[in-house]
Amino acid sequence: MSLEEPEPDVPAPVEEQSPDELAELLGDHVIGREEHLNAPGYVIRPDAVQDVLSTLKTEAGYDHLSCVTAQEYEDRYESIYHLKKFDDPTQEVSVVVPADRENPVSESAEPVFRTADWHEREAYDLVGIDYDDHPDLRRILLPETWQGHPLAADYDQDRPQVVPLRENANPLQEDHRGEDDTDTMFLNIGPHHPATHGVLHLKTTLDGEQVADVESDIGYLHRCEEQICQNGTYRHQIMPYPDRWDYISAGLLNEWAYARAAEDMADIEVPEYAQVIRTMGAELCRIAAHMLAVGTFALDVYGDFTAIFMYAIRDREKVQNILEDLTGQRLMFNYFRLGGVVWDLPEPREEFFEKTRDFLEDLPEALEEYHDLISGNEILQMRTIDTGVLPPEVAKNYGATGPVARGSGVDYDLRRDDPYGYYDELDWDVVTEDGCDNYSRLLVRLREVEESAKIIEQCIDLLEDWPEEDRTIQANVPRTLKPDDDTEIYRAVEGAKGELGIYMRSDGTDKPARFKIRSPCFSNLQTLPEMAEGEYVPDLVAALGSLDIVLGEVDR
Amino acid sequence: MTGGVPLQQGMLPDTIANLLGLNAYGVAGEIVAALLGAFLIANFLLINTAFAGPWAKRKITAAFTDRIAVNRIGPFGLFVIVADAVRLLSKELIVPDGADRPAWDLGPLLIPFSALLGFAVIPMGSGLQLADPETGLAFAFAASSIASLGLIMMGYASNNKYSLLGGLRAVASNIAYEIPLIVTGVSVVLFTGTLQMSAIVEAQQVAFLSVAGVTIPQWFVFVNPFAFVLFVVANVAEVGRNPFDIPEAPTEIVAGYQTEYSSVYFVLIYLGEFIHIFLGGAIAATLFLGGPAGPGPAALGIVWFTAKIWAFFLFTQWLRSAVPRLRVDQFIEIGWKGMLVLAFANLVLTAVIVGVLA
Repeated sequence: MSLEEPEPDVPAPVEEQSPDELAELLGDHVIGREEHLNAPGYVIRPDAVQDVLSTLKTEAGYDHLSCVTAQEYEDRYESIYHLKKFDDPTQEVSVVVPADRENPVSESAEPVFRTADWHEREAYDLVGIDYDDHPDLRRILLPETWQGHPLAADYDQDRPQVVPLRENANPLQEDHRGEDDTDTMFLNIGPHHPATHGVLHLKTTLDGEQVADVESDIGYLHRCEEQICQNGTYRHQIMPYPDRWDYISAGLLNEWAYARAAEDMADIEVPEYAQVIRTMGAELCRIAAHMLAVGTFALDVYGDFTAIFMYAIRDREKVQNILEDLTGQRLMFNYFRLGGVVWDLPEPREEFFEKTRDFLEDLPEALEEYHDLISGNEILQMRTIDTGVLPPEVAKNYGATGPVARGSGVDYDLRRDDPYGYYDELDWDVVTEDGCDNYSRLLVRLREVEESAKIIEQCIDLLEDWPEEDRTIQANVPRTLKPDDDTEIYRAVEGAKGELGIYMRSDGTDKPARFKIRSPCFSNLQTLPEMAEGEYVPDLVAALGSLDIVLGEVDR
Repeated sequence: MTGGVPLQQGMLPDTIANLLGLNAYGVAGEIVAALLGAFLIANFLLINTAFAGPWAKRKITAAFTDRIAVNRIGPFGLFVIVADAVRLLSKELIVPDGADRPAWDLGPLLIPFSALLGFAVIPMGSGLQLADPETGLAFAFAASSIASLGLIMMGYASNNKYSLLGGLRAVASNIAYEIPLIVTGVSVVLFTGTLQMSAIVEAQQVAFLSVAGVTIPQWFVFVNPFAFVLFVVANVAEVGRNPFDIPEAPTEIVAGYQTEYSSVYFVLIYLGEFIHIFLGGAIAATLFLGGPAGPGPAALGIVWFTAKIWAFFLFTQWLRSAVPRLRVDQFIEIGWKGMLVLAFANLVLTAVIVGVLA
């Protein structure tokens, strides 16, 4: 565990393959080519998924399976594997796997990328594609008894889901006494438990007090966010919903994910002034989200509503007030618009700047207090160092991103690696820690707050000096957006919890034909068994706290 | 006290008997006097608990966490005590299926009563002491340990896995920390040569040091501060407060042994926990802080005594607000590998010092 800055080493440029080179590499497996806005797409045979992905992973360096999108066309089903490189996420490739309309089966990618486990389960659950060779293909978001696949074309939304009581097994009722392995005890942690941060159900098998096995049961907060977005128009009706995914005051970060994807899709240029405002707002949100993450993590380790939790909430409150001044809302901001933001900074501007500067001035002192109370506390260090260990290779295999990956030493931050907004014009650093444990993830969040403050300060300086006549907050965007038919795009931004990506496909109308959300919490939560198995229950709870999941984003 | 043994002079029952003229009724009078005394002491503690639980705990925690807490009902929000009492007592008592009765019902009763029983031998000053047997200190420790039995009963009888885990943790923590607690207490007995509580208090009345005209009494906290620290740490574990609140551990095992309890039983458990904290403070005060001793006339004893037990209560609340909880294995490790060794080292050292000096 080193607190020093890592040696500044210049990373060797990541080798980039041209689309044709890749096609050659994949050989016969490729049966067609597509062009997605973000990456070249290769249509491959449904029984060659593992071959193709492992070739791309080992020989071409595409080691990050960012997202799996499943969708149904009139003549076929399709799974799209969005691959990236952790070293350079601008190098992307989409692997498109068609599956038969009548008998949708394609090979699972799980043996190559562990993260495909949950993503394919979700695809099976919502769209109805069967994945051959998947170790555990069950429903993930909907209950086991659900009839039909809600995002499939023939799904009848009006048909009531009548499930007889006897079918609807209560997972909590099961009595596990008298099983063969009598040395272990089955324990349901959640769905209502003080440490699950929402409605998460952990099926835990305990050996004494040590966790022998843990399985997350999610979906309690599933609100059909993807389908809601598919029913909304690009221009106005989708933007309010991202606020509700990661609802822990990370709203602007989520809005940016949609804004970025939609703007790239419709080729909208955002004015620089608006980009600066967006950058500032997003970083304010990140501070607020990290404050809550640190506070609740302390809560998990301390066990009660302790001083540090209230201190974190107190400082988050200041950020919330600034955000309220900026956007008019405290939680569900709905502040971004395609092509900019909805309104300029509040008048009088000086007052807003002063308030924000005051906050930034007090922040180092507050952080000092946090370091005194938590990261410097011996007992907390005893509790968190070397517990919940997530080695970098495992983190990558699970598609972990954000502070979770950076706490494992994975130097991956889309703000720097795949620049958007105004980030590449500003002076700030990506924070990583090499400890791979609960403590590292805590430190990463605390240090990221400092970096965010640096960004905000530079944005304020820029905004203050911005000439009045150049303050364009929105580009000229048509009233109705109808991107070209069959345009596909996958775009991600660095949300508070990690890589928040949006996949959209247009069908020539003003609403997306498929809207897929790549939630960082979803992928991050999947690593929990790796971190918790063999540890004590308290460390399971600490590991869960250090993942900083928001169930609204996990379940969508 | 009963069974024909004459009332001890200066004890509370004796005073009551004299006041009310109960002496004339022989054994029956003694019993009535003893019961009246116990009633008085118990009520004194219950009043303290009423202040501590619904009101002081909130106010103290709020002060630690930059908040205000109850301030609407009555002066300083004090009437919240009444409101809370009504609220808690009017809640539904939910008995889980498969609860092992009557053990399930006895557990919550044992906890407050064991703590109250411990107070029978505590000299609270101003003549407030129910009994003063020669084995007073052993009795106080023994009485407070009965609570562990209640915790196990509650944990086991609730038919809930969280309760079971909490119950098991309670046993583990009590065994691990009671031994250092008592061994440290014994090191004080080496100085006093008696287990009698009044004699232990007596032994602390003499002057220890005189610095610049200020006489420091021979409180054992000054004589052996190391033992005091050990005792307080073990005591915090014994009453199950942060960083040793392993048996309850809300974020891990929901509420441990008390997960399934609601309404009156919930009140009883909390009552018991607070009296237990006060008992811990009382034993610490008696052994190390001169009991009811303090400046001013001896009649003020009860005031000083109350201040001391509240100081201990405040201390536990401070820990609760500021210190993270240990993991269960670390907790047990500290108990057996750290506290136990230190407690015995302290005992041997004290024995050597007492042996050489005396």
